[in-house]
Amino acid sequence: MGDPNRRMFSPEIEAMPREDIERLQEEKLLGDLVPWAYERSGLIRETWDAAGVKPADIQSLDDFHEKVPFIDKDAIRSYRDRHDDPYGGLLCLDPADPKLRGVFSAIFSTSGTTGDPTPAPYAGRGPSMLVREFWEAGTRPGDHFMHCLFTFRGPGIHETIRGIGATPVFVDHQPEDIGTLLRLSRELRPTGWYTMSGPLLMMIEQALQAGDVDPVDTFSSYTGVIFAGEPLGPRARSRVESWGLELFIQTSLGDVGAATECAEHDGCHFWEDCAFVETLDPQGTDAVGDGERGELVSTTLVDKIAPLIRYRSDDLVRVTREPCACGRTHGRVTPLGRKGDEVVIDGVSVLPGDIWGAVELVDETQAGLFQIVRTGCEMDALRLRVGYANEGPKGLADLKTRVTDSVASAVGVQPEIDLVENAVLLRQGPPHKIPRVTKA
Amino acid sequence: MTFAAAYEDPPVAWGVGRVVVGDEVIPWPVSMRDIDDETESMVPRLAALGLAEGGLVLIVSLLSDTIHVYPFEQAAGKLGALYSSADRSPFDAFRTASLIRQLKPTVVMGIDRRVLDGLVDAGRDLYEVFAPVPAVVAADDDAATRLAATGLTVRRWLTIGPTSALQPLDDDALVYDPTRWEIESSNVGASGELVITNLVDRLTPCDRFRTGRRGEVLEPGLLRTT
Repeated sequence: MGDPNRRMFSPEIEAMPREDIERLQEEKLLGDLVPWAYERSGLIRETWDAAGVKPADIQSLDDFHEKVPFIDKDAIRSYRDRHDDPYGGLLCLDPADPKLRGVFSAIFSTSGTTGDPTPAPYAGRGPSMLVREFWEAGTRPGDHFMHCLFTFRGPGIHETIRGIGATPVFVDHQPEDIGTLLRLSRELRPTGWYTMSGPLLMMIEQALQAGDVDPVDTFSSYTGVIFAGEPLGPRARSRVESWGLELFIQTSLGDVGAATECAEHDGCHFWEDCAFVETLDPQGTDAVGDGERGELVSTTLVDKIAPLIRYRSDDLVRVTREPCACGRTHGRVTPLGRKGDEVVIDGVSVLPGDIWGAVELVDETQAGLFQIVRTGCEMDALRLRVGYANEGPKGLADLKTRVTDSVASAVGVQPEIDLVENAVLLRQGPPHKIPRVTKA
Repeated sequence: MTFAAAYEDPPVAWGVGRVVVGDEVIPWPVSMRDIDDETESMVPRLAALGLAEGGLVLIVSLLSDTIHVYPFEQAAGKLGALYSSADRSPFDAFRTASLIRQLKPTVVMGIDRRVLDGLVDAGRDLYEVFAPVPAVVAADDDAATRLAATGLTVRRWLTIGPTSALQPLDDDALVYDPTRWEIESSNVGASGELVITNLVDRLTPCDRFRTGRRGEVLEPGLLRTT
């Protein structure tokens, strides 16, 4: 249809002038989403009424910043429990409405890493905005695309792959399917891959070691692989790159979408025609400056089924709207960690991302499987549960000493380490990530 | 203007799924027309499990099952019902239990040994998890046996090459679509390996394709596993 050599899938949107982006956001938000959600979403109406705010009070983006109350995951769960409503008061459509037959088609769910999976209603909407990311990662019409995800995210991804004219190849994000993934990589020569994760990387490495497989040859057809689920440590990135794969990091955009690196690898682009993003003081309501650390607060501009409006994500990020070298004008986000994962020991703030590289540096724990044992934000000691592949040449006591020294060197705090086999932590999946914080 | 302004033309192959025969994985491309036709074929299969307008089917599967599962998902919509999904793995078994509790499905299909192992490892009582569901459909013999041992009535789902047979609520036999597929036993008139031939066009045809499944064809459209 279009020129397959074009850099951007939708250049008229991806490189839209900032003033046009902001005008579009205001139109969508104030003219559409706000009154729609207030009239139909029980949670939004309850929250706004408690704050004494009506849609008519919101006449500008400044009003939106100043007056619109926040919601968060706890508010959704509270509404769900108080009203016996699995959708937490977010649903704006009635699934039983005969007019919606064939539109409102499914209910998917969040990963459930931190609790009960939250049901997420879905209407068949065709390809998602991820067409832009898949195109940027090099897939073109006629290509095969390795679709390696889970079922609970729904069919949106395979519709997206078809939306760029490519054919999805369905492979499981499971250890049992790594052999087939390697085989079909050689036989079908796919160009795209969604997604790679830390646990999957570990499984692939084990399969490569066990079999006589040349990863560079096996993966030579891929132009880009999207890595999602958790942060990627430097050692793991280096390992994947030694296989000849270019990784494009993807992060969540506060449950209203995703943000993904472009080939400049300088932050993850989020699409501001689809989401309105604020970065606020994690302890307050003031906006932080461009590039400063803050909490991501997201508002959908496209989801009219279960819209999140001013959703405090708990994610600590840096956001910049400086133009990217790739030519895109939409903002970029760099994830730092989750606010609820932070611990402070003797005045030193520690997030899982601060520990990652130190755990990876030790050969036996290079999978980067660890958890912070967190009993509160302020703690007397940094307690970590760390997964290991083998005890190493001198046994567990020696391994513990090496992990302790590596972490202490990285964060400036002497940790207490509890070593467990990797499998113990992997069982706490979902398969693409583990909870990085545990209470005990 | 939402998402991208326009899309590329879709490819001929809707996707590359697979058919598994014993330990062998056979890549299996299907077209959109194949998917649409299987969808039509599966509408009465789901209806025979009690799925109707306003209901919900929870399909427990893996992404590699997509060419078998997607027609069920679309068929649910044609009945005015919804579908939801959980992975068929011990790691994701908690999701199956959670969605049964939260969404109250009419049908749960695709339960296998791995899901039950995951639930048992998590200390869950299998009867308590599945008892509220009117139609529980197992995807392997192990799960069917273990669930039946708890006192539950269990139906069976069997993939046969690129199509599926399902046991309805009111019959002991599994039902497949004899207008689209000819299924024979390699041991005519008795139990043997099931072989399948497509009677309507398919992107990947099968001509007496050996499925690796054992069973007996009772009459066109009805079979039982052995």
